[in-house]
Amino acid sequence: MTHANHHRENCSKTGICPVVAFPEVVNIDEIADEAPEVKTFYMSFLNKDVEREFRIKSGQFIMCTVFGAGEFAVSLPPSPENDRFHITVRAVGKVTHALHALRQGDKLGVRGPFGNGFPFDDIKGKNIIYVAGGIGLIPLRSSIVHALQHRQDFGRIILLYGARSSADLLYQADIRKWKQNEGFETFITIDRPESGWDGEIGYVNQLIAKADVPVENTVAFVCGPPIMFNNVIADLLGRGMSEDDIISTLERQMKCGIGKCQHCAIGRTLVCTDGPVYTYHQIKTLGEVI
Amino acid sequence: MSLYLLTADEIAALAREFRTTHDVYGPQSHPQTGQVFFDLLAEPEDLDLDAAIPSMPVKEILFPQMERILTYSYDSDTQSVRMEKPYTEKPKVLFGLRPCDLAGIMCTDRFFLGQEFVDDVYLVHRRQSILITNTCRQPWDQCFCVCLHTGPAADEGYDIDLTKLDDGNYLVHARSTKGREIASAHAWKPADQSHLAAKAAVVDRSVSLFPDLAKDNKAWVSRAMNRITTGFVKHEIWEYIGQQCLECGACSFVCPSCSCFNIEDKTICDSDCERVRTRDSCSFEGYSRMAGDHNPRAPVEDRRNKRFFCKLSYSQSKKYLRPGCVGCGRCQWVCPGDIGLPNVVQYLRRETTE
Repeated sequence: MTHANHHRENCSKTGICPVVAFPEVVNIDEIADEAPEVKTFYMSFLNKDVEREFRIKSGQFIMCTVFGAGEFAVSLPPSPENDRFHITVRAVGKVTHALHALRQGDKLGVRGPFGNGFPFDDIKGKNIIYVAGGIGLIPLRSSIVHALQHRQDFGRIILLYGARSSADLLYQADIRKWKQNEGFETFITIDRPESGWDGEIGYVNQLIAKADVPVENTVAFVCGPPIMFNNVIADLLGRGMSEDDIISTLERQMKCGIGKCQHCAIGRTLVCTDGPVYTYHQIKTLGEVI
Repeated sequence: MSLYLLTADEIAALAREFRTTHDVYGPQSHPQTGQVFFDLLAEPEDLDLDAAIPSMPVKEILFPQMERILTYSYDSDTQSVRMEKPYTEKPKVLFGLRPCDLAGIMCTDRFFLGQEFVDDVYLVHRRQSILITNTCRQPWDQCFCVCLHTGPAADEGYDIDLTKLDDGNYLVHARSTKGREIASAHAWKPADQSHLAAKAAVVDRSVSLFPDLAKDNKAWVSRAMNRITTGFVKHEIWEYIGQQCLECGACSFVCPSCSCFNIEDKTICDSDCERVRTRDSCSFEGYSRMAGDHNPRAPVEDRRNKRFFCKLSYSQSKKYLRPGCVGCGRCQWVCPGDIGLPNVVQYLRRETTE
């Protein structure tokens, strides 16, 4: 039972859903620098009952309150028993900059989790390709961890990851650990040559040919900035991958997370309740450009 | 049928009686400007059931323009937070709702309460409210409710419905359980079939006073819905509509069914903060702009057609169980361009027939 489901049950029992206005308070246990402007915040709930009931489906997100600044939507790690509860955030806007100014022991508010999550039940037995651009690796990370934990359910697992520079590469310790899994292949590229970098140079879509990714019985998880997204999709489709096998997780401005404020509407769907995970076929038919 | 016949004095007495236990809201005409607002009754005499359609929809009471949904204080020295819920539940009576405004409440009810998640702020405002509708004896300049089957008489969703008959008495229909309880607590005079016939005459006359375009062609709106749903509206038409949009957002703020909102955290002083929810409009450029300035909906025609898609497409209508438009015509009234919903429907229809 997800936390959201728990709230839904609460709704039907009491007629009141506590998720809209009241965030649960979490403590920042540890802050780690991932890359310039990117930090990971390890957190734990003050209310231990909530912590016990808090269940995440890989691919869901939370609304996170920085007290005094506001709320933002952020993707989650896989379920708490498999991984420490944390968020990884780049300082981009007002609220995320305020978050970066916090220190250990400060409190945050959390509502959620919300959203549909990755469709793992539908892709058992298939190869998985992860294509991540920049901080697009953050939402895909929970999927990778989940897939590696259920290694026997999947075929080849390939990570294609591109960042602006070697300093911008995230989760390097994680990636080294993942590589120890049998059949986990990693291809990493940075945009421009750099002294001391002997890996690939160029954009992440160029790795698709380099890795000679399979197409049959394969799904691709793609996440990154719009231009990278469009190029990667074009290349994958060009190799004969079907639109239904390309899965992405979208990002939109969100204010409520529960399908009311409508800021995240794309065509007829709401990214917060219908998404954030869509197949490319769905994205194409939503009726709006990405 | 729980039908009763009440004099105008008895209706006024009912409003006075409600004021002892409830917050009573009703239409009031401003003595100087003549503008009509649906607001809290300061004096029972202010209730004006013959007033024109209120300038603002009744959603102001259930879903205010601006509302505090959370207050908190964060002490960064002790790193501790204290939160409080600032909104409270109050029993209220909405006395003399226009049928179009009732339809608007039905829309926001289904939207805020009937989806996957329940919006508890709306629920708190809505839970203890009694809805008393008032049949429109005549349409006003911009009305087109006959095209959307929301008026001039209400036929569902109210607790008590009032119709002023030609002799000045009111035919009262207690429909819901709550409405029947109110009726049975009073010794009201029962009405009969002849009064129903008198109401039908009032409604028929009201319908006959609508502009020909509205009353002759009830498929007016549904044809446009079909066009929007099937995606056959040419991009040039949306551009034409977009060019007339000044992005003021007025249409959204006066629309009984528009429910988009924004949430912002504000510092009041030192560590005291409040989380405020304000209504928002999909016509604003910042509506879907994300941190980092990526805006998936930058061009104005893109944003404009979203509003009409939301009001008229089939998939959105499934969410509300009816079109998102209730035919009150307020958007037509306030639009500084010429793209109130009735006009947009006409553009789309003209496009269809040409």
